[in-house]
Amino acid sequence: MTPPAIVRRALAEGLGMIAICDHNSARNAAAVQEAAGTRLAVLAGMEITTLEECHVVALFPDAEAARAAGAEVGATLGQVDDGYQEFFGEQHVLAADGSERARETLALATATTLDVDAAVRLVHGHGGLAIAAHIDRRSFGVTSQLGLFPADAGFDAVELSRHVAPGSPIEAEFAVHGLPFVHSSDAHYQGDIGAARTAVHCERATFAELALALAGARGRSVGDA
Amino acid sequence: MKLEDIARELGLTELTPKVTGNSEADIERGYASDLLSDVLAHAPAGGVLVTLQVHLNVIAVASHAELAAVIFAGDRRPDDEVCGKANAEGVSLFVSPADTFDVVGRLYALGVKGNHA
Repeated sequence: MTPPAIVRRALAEGLGMIAICDHNSARNAAAVQEAAGTRLAVLAGMEITTLEECHVVALFPDAEAARAAGAEVGATLGQVDDGYQEFFGEQHVLAADGSERARETLALATATTLDVDAAVRLVHGHGGLAIAAHIDRRSFGVTSQLGLFPADAGFDAVELSRHVAPGSPIEAEFAVHGLPFVHSSDAHYQGDIGAARTAVHCERATFAELALALAGARGRSVGDA
Repeated sequence: MKLEDIARELGLTELTPKVTGNSEADIERGYASDLLSDVLAHAPAGGVLVTLQVHLNVIAVASHAELAAVIFAGDRRPDDEVCGKANAEGVSLFVSPADTFDVVGRLYALGVKGNHA
């Protein structure tokens, strides 16, 4: 999953925009944006693991906002130890050409000390969009962890995994509080890129347009119109 | 066994002294889980829940499942908002410094059983 490979795969899959959402870190986003150039829109994001072990997908206006948010999230994490590295391997920070730039020593695969409300506030505080990740899944989704969807948390959208087809009857079962659906591959491996996608009806592939589409504002929208 | 006797035997700290309706309740069943969707689906009515999950939703779930009490293990403490909601809903909250396994084991030894006993 080097930046060039991700970009190549996304383009081959016919995707117009992707988001890089490493666990609890945004350190690899800028490199993918650089590798993509003007060929593919790449949003800088991260997937935060909250205190309750819920996943929150965060998308930011730019890599700098993502980096700042990532630093705040990182401040709540511990350092890796031998046991962690044996299980999870090395945490690489890559350059645009795929070469290794640095090693991350924060234990990104662990839960932060941010509860769901705090995580959403942090994301919004950096101008980002907060999406309740894969709420159809039985682990790490806000509904599985918290029993009931946290309606007051302030989510901008809910995400469904590749296992729920857009427009299917199952999708309707996850309708919560009028929030829009996004469908994501949650690709952890190259082969999964494009396994799910969200139709975004907007003027151009940018963060600002996506934000409008999720809000259903100014004629922009997501999903089948 | 009565909830107040369980609290004494296990050395639990009570977080909701204003909730008085449960202390005489006879606790026969218990459940242990940190996934509230799981608690919602399986926790026995009138029982006690042992959990690490201190999110506000634990009160809504406990209320919905008609639980008598929630014991937070590992010295995990819910915030004031959670305790306030528990007072309002009549759910008794306790904290134990022991971890979940030990709390459950001791409850079981006192005669509190699970769904499949």
